[in-house]
Amino acid sequence: MVVGGGPGGYVAAIRAAQLGFKTALVEKQHLGGVCLNWGCIPTKALLRGADIAHTLKEAERFGFTFDNLSFDIKKLVQHSRSVAGKLTQGVAYLMQKNGVTVIDGTASLADKCLLDVDHNGTITQYRATHIILATGARARNLPSIKIDGDSVWGAREAMTPTALPRTLLVIGAGAIGVEFASLYNDLGTDVTLVEVENRITPAEDSDISALAEKAFKQRGIKVLTNSIVQSLDNSGANTVALISGSEGQQHLEFDQVILAVGITGNIENMGLERLNVASQRGFLQTDGFGKTNLAGLYAIGDVAGPPWLAHKASHEAVICVEKIAGVEGVKPLNKDQIPGCTYCRPQIASVGLTEAQAKAAGHSIRVGRFNLNANGKALAINEAEGLVKTVFDEHSGELLGAHMIGPEVTEQIQGFGIAQQLEATEHELAQSIFAHPTVSESMHEAVLDSLGIALHQ
Amino acid sequence: MTTEIKPINMPKWGMEMSEGDINAWYFAVGDKVNAGDDLVDIETSKIINTVTASSSGILRAIIGAQGETHAVGALLGVIASAETSDADIETFIALHTNAAPKSEPEAAPEVVLTEAAPAPIAAPQVSSSASKLAEGQDDSLVAASPVARRLAAEYAVNLNNITGTGRHGRVSKGDLEAAVVAAGGRLIGNTSNTKGSGVAQYGDDSHVKATPVARRLATQLGINLLECRVSGDRGRVCKADVDAVAALKQIPLAQTDSRATAGTGNTAVESQSISGMRKTIAARLQSSKQTAPHFRVHIDAEIDALLEVREQINHSNSDAKVSVNDFIVKACASALMKVPALNVQFDGEQLSYFSNADISVAVAIDDGLITPIVTGANHKGLADISNTIRDLATRAKLGRLKPDEFQGGSFCISNLGMYGIKQFDAIINPPQGAILAVGTGEQRPVVKDGTLAVATVMSLCLSSDHRIIDGAVAAQFMSVLKGYLEQPATMLG
Repeated sequence: MVVGGGPGGYVAAIRAAQLGFKTALVEKQHLGGVCLNWGCIPTKALLRGADIAHTLKEAERFGFTFDNLSFDIKKLVQHSRSVAGKLTQGVAYLMQKNGVTVIDGTASLADKCLLDVDHNGTITQYRATHIILATGARARNLPSIKIDGDSVWGAREAMTPTALPRTLLVIGAGAIGVEFASLYNDLGTDVTLVEVENRITPAEDSDISALAEKAFKQRGIKVLTNSIVQSLDNSGANTVALISGSEGQQHLEFDQVILAVGITGNIENMGLERLNVASQRGFLQTDGFGKTNLAGLYAIGDVAGPPWLAHKASHEAVICVEKIAGVEGVKPLNKDQIPGCTYCRPQIASVGLTEAQAKAAGHSIRVGRFNLNANGKALAINEAEGLVKTVFDEHSGELLGAHMIGPEVTEQIQGFGIAQQLEATEHELAQSIFAHPTVSESMHEAVLDSLGIALHQ
Repeated sequence: MTTEIKPINMPKWGMEMSEGDINAWYFAVGDKVNAGDDLVDIETSKIINTVTASSSGILRAIIGAQGETHAVGALLGVIASAETSDADIETFIALHTNAAPKSEPEAAPEVVLTEAAPAPIAAPQVSSSASKLAEGQDDSLVAASPVARRLAAEYAVNLNNITGTGRHGRVSKGDLEAAVVAAGGRLIGNTSNTKGSGVAQYGDDSHVKATPVARRLATQLGINLLECRVSGDRGRVCKADVDAVAALKQIPLAQTDSRATAGTGNTAVESQSISGMRKTIAARLQSSKQTAPHFRVHIDAEIDALLEVREQINHSNSDAKVSVNDFIVKACASALMKVPALNVQFDGEQLSYFSNADISVAVAIDDGLITPIVTGANHKGLADISNTIRDLATRAKLGRLKPDEFQGGSFCISNLGMYGIKQFDAIINPPQGAILAVGTGEQRPVVKDGTLAVATVMSLCLSSDHRIIDGAVAAQFMSVLKGYLEQPATMLG
């Protein structure tokens, strides 16, 4: 049995059914989970709106002028919700097609291999030899600042606004924070982005962070790094934030605040403490195949710890189920091969180790860089702001990491991902022919640069 | 495509199997074979099992004759359509064995089973017909591209035999294919590609001297005359030369009957495999019941203490969910160590005693029954036994057990307690000597020291093969088993 209908849970259910398991999936609210309903997909629908806003601003350069331009954010939100709705139905269809029984309700573990499912107060007990928890995670609060759905939004409220705030404070410059900062800035809001670390997107390579910060500042986003929001005062019409940073403390006023300081696993009220299921910092502990310390219990996706990505959850789902079924050749999750994508403008995509991480891990490395302002296609579409950076192990030629910022890099990163999976070295990549004119030629050039033979810079 | 030639290869049943003896063919050359039919019985050091046909067609050749020993993967026979030419079959055999194509393999009975030697010391005689490229040590350390490695598996080529031209000597797809061609092999690929490609590849062949028939045939088959050998009179390419190239490229010479694979084939594959298992169950159990004189001994065990220990273990140990059945496996393993006369296999002539208790556990699956084995149960703790059985039972139900996980075993347990069955008899799982049938644990009135009391009682019934197991031995085993179940702590000693 699978608990949770997100990209971890529903994929686990499908794979299990394919392998011949009698499979049921318990979901308390929406099939598709956060990803389809309140995460990846609806935000991408909104960000498409932001893209259009940006394109319209640039239109004059391409010869278009127009007036009477108007924007109704309600319509954009409506589009976003309808996409989410469609995909949820799609998941329901997939469940039906694969013969997965979907059970409505909230599950908790009554004992080993025993689930209580509460549906509107009626509890039904189910027995299953193998139970996979894919209960996901939710936005984390700070001790002093909590999401209230009113003046302080979490991601969920931030993607269903009824009006556009004039001024916006985004706390946290991880993937979620920068996406909302980018979105609202494109739609015309005055955005301030606060990050406690010394750079935005601190999980990315520092070169990428630097370029993203430069791009954000050019767009008029106020970026405050090394800064902490000490407190929020909601007593007046607006929210007053006390922000302390390297330049001392300052009071700033905002219409709206978005809190995006990470997430915490949904592990409470499921009977896990009573059965001594091991957890650490709010997430369940598992082996490389999702197995917990409790017999017959597995955990995948966000609830099993970082990185909190839908595709990581789906991959864990497959390897977890295949491991149980004894499929030959299943490999444990390799966290260095999970691509990460951030859909701010310009987009950020990466896989593997950053330069700093590679050095810290003791590799002697060979780094290649290629700037998009020397890429014909990027110039042609007027989005020549960006960088491709590759990190190779000097001895083995292994692609340790690849980091990209620029237009549609999220669609390109899997090229490096495949190379990594096949253990291609810089030579195989250098010998591959990249089509012209594409933005992805920069991937090739970055590899060539790592060999000192870049052709176009 | 009806022109496809399907090899019958020596299977690999389990990690240790390196070769097998051909026990008996169910068909003769020229017989029609349906997918799923039993083809040939293979005997290994451990088991005799049947290879079934993966596709329908005519059994065109038998390379592995009865009594011969062949290495795993070796070509044993060929199935193809009636229309496939003999030349094609011979080329195929030649490619897959590197032996002379016209060796009339079925007429080579010199190696007939000389003695019914007990299997464990099977002669390490590798089939002379194994492909040269296939020979060699484990090649998993050879540097090769993923594509080359996959193709090597398909061509049954050992990568040690290929010279890599990639960087650091890595074997590429090109290296592999060159070696296959050099060894006289034919590249796997879709044949439609080869059709009509001759002209482009070899250039204009209008100046080549050829017989009119050869020229017309070559045009029809898309073969370039420059590809052909010249063996006709006056230096001309003749029909036979074109035929030879066509055979090499697997281009069908005659129009084939497209109906042959349609219809019956598809659904039959599924139902055949199910009935195959049913057939095996039927044959084995009937033979067991007929040949082994079963006798049964019953005993009741009180399991209240066991249930309490189980509760304690499950409460304190999150890594295990120990069932009553897991206790029974453990108790049987311990009892078999005490009464080794029951830990045996008997094939009608030879009685084998085992030092470890490899306990088969009957698992009901959708289309029958299978008995995965807890190997060395005497060395395993309860949690280990429990997790092993959970894994085996899960994979048994998915049909994903490996043969060596369910073939063999020195003792069997069949438990129908979960259905509320009080007591039943089981049929011995040959070549084992005994099987334990386990009923449900239920509260029953018992008399203790002259007064009536309530206890949780479980009925056990042991069926033994009286040819090799005497009544007293069975009784002794059951009394030891009862002791372990009623006082689980004694299993620790």
